Amino acid sequence: MEHYVNIFIKTVFIENMVFAFFLGMCSFLAVSKTIKTSFGLGLAVIFVLLITAPFNYLILNFFLVKGALSWIHPSLADVDMTFLSFILYISVIAGTVQLVEMIIEKFSPGLYASLGIFLPLITVNCAILGTSLFMAERQYDLAETAVFSAGSGTGFFIAIVGLAAIREKLKYSDVPDPLKGLGLAMLITGLMGIAFLSFAGIQL
Amino acid sequence: MKALKNLINSIDPHFQKGGKFEKAWVLYDGFKTFLFVPDHTTHDGVHVRDSIDLKRTMFTVIIAMMPALLFGMWNVGYQHYSAYGEESTLIQNFLFGLEKVLPIIIVSYGAGLAVEFLFAGMKGHSINEGYLVTGMLIPLIMPVTVPLWMVALASIFTVVIGKEVFGGTGMNIMNPALLARAFLFFAFPAYMSGEIWVAMDDSKTLVDGFSGATSLVYFDEGLAAFPEGNQVSDMFFGTIVGSIGETSTLAILLGAAYLVFTGVGSWRIMFSVFAGGYIMGLLMNVLAGSAFPGMEVPAFYHLIMGGFAFGAVFMATDPVSAAQTNMGKWIYGFGIGAFAVILRVFNPAYPEAIMLSILFFNVFAPLIDHLVIQRHIKTRLQRA
Repeated sequence: MEHYVNIFIKTVFIENMVFAFFLGMCSFLAVSKTIKTSFGLGLAVIFVLLITAPFNYLILNFFLVKGALSWIHPSLADVDMTFLSFILYISVIAGTVQLVEMIIEKFSPGLYASLGIFLPLITVNCAILGTSLFMAERQYDLAETAVFSAGSGTGFFIAIVGLAAIREKLKYSDVPDPLKGLGLAMLITGLMGIAFLSFAGIQL
Repeated sequence: MKALKNLINSIDPHFQKGGKFEKAWVLYDGFKTFLFVPDHTTHDGVHVRDSIDLKRTMFTVIIAMMPALLFGMWNVGYQHYSAYGEESTLIQNFLFGLEKVLPIIIVSYGAGLAVEFLFAGMKGHSINEGYLVTGMLIPLIMPVTVPLWMVALASIFTVVIGKEVFGGTGMNIMNPALLARAFLFFAFPAYMSGEIWVAMDDSKTLVDGFSGATSLVYFDEGLAAFPEGNQVSDMFFGTIVGSIGETSTLAILLGAAYLVFTGVGSWRIMFSVFAGGYIMGLLMNVLAGSAFPGMEVPAFYHLIMGGFAFGAVFMATDPVSAAQTNMGKWIYGFGIGAFAVILRVFNPAYPEAIMLSILFFNVFAPLIDHLVIQRHIKTRLQRA
């Protein structure tokens, strides 16, 4: 149990997808203008991650890695199909995002409209593909993968909602013209990164 | 005072629009309002204003920092002379500290204000007062051995990246002084940690058993590792090594009393930071195991060691970067205290955690406020 709590805390804070690896930047910067939409996007990312990472784990371990196919026939034990992993991961992610899109459109048309193009673009959100790749690289088992994906989703959620709150507060600030919008958002991201550096060095 | 006022009134027209020194208006206005409450009236918006304007508020904070600063100067000298085993009088200690600390203050104000004047001139508004406090806070949280060019660099960095890009005083998301220190801490780690806390003199020999490190490093090894010299009373009165202004909890509490009395600093934040640190410290004591020896350090040690008190009183209470709602202030302060203790105990990479803890909660203060306000709206709606 303690092991899983450690993985979760580690992925949320110490190895935050946004501030430690700088993954998922495009939607992080673009959809963080208001708390409401960033809240929705954050939840969508958590949901997509919770489905895709464990699913990709199953694909990887029962179809792709060397010897995984031997459950079909012993003669397939030598087949190594990991070169297919990227395309399969992305397909799974794309499929899940389609599902999320339909759910959000049905139940919250307002959120659907405000997320706009960034909802389908979760497909290419590097934080999500990154989670699947880290899962493979660190050789997590299924339970660890589930915890890990929940953690990295939560980390992204906290980061984007935090940034959105700051940007809402800055709405009334006299920001120099060239920095308005994205420029300032990147600077804030850097400053938030300094704050998250406080976790660097904790061993779990 | 009267003569000064007459002088200002006589040269005033030269600096107004169309006058001889129109371009230097920012400079002139900065100094004029520094001395006197400005006499101009409002044109729109709020018409009734308190004469306690931003400059007067900032001065209150600077007065509150005086005990810590003066004690810090004395302590710089005291630590220096005792490192070499020499006898020294109170005046000697103080003069030595003055000689070391004054250049840092001058450089901090000089570099920071130069950038402030530049931006004010470019944007055509009067000079921002916020740097009066920041410029004094920066020297107080530096080790005395810090190179002056690094102080200048940090001051410029924090004014430009920490403040002006957000629109100047009152708009920054992080405490500028802490940002300056964090910048130096991550950019030049060798100058900001280790045995840097005592001003050295290479021509003399150190006493036996001299250790220039702060007692915070012993958190990793637990209570047993604390050296004999680190008595609780020393830590409270401040005769220990550390950043210039942070060592004496007593001097800081004097400043805190003044801030609370004048209503400039938020007592909610100060109290909840201390409470958060103490409760988390107690919790650590209860859960103490063998894996982290730092957990068994008595809870009140956390409050008097390192920069905890200084951060709680002067940094966390920064009205701009702190949470704005009353409920938010409690959460914010409690979080800072608790998180600082957690980092001190569990993160061996940074022995001093209060700086990063405050920066971390600066980042999330707007979110805390948002959640508090949403909850208020919800309860009001239910009541209606």
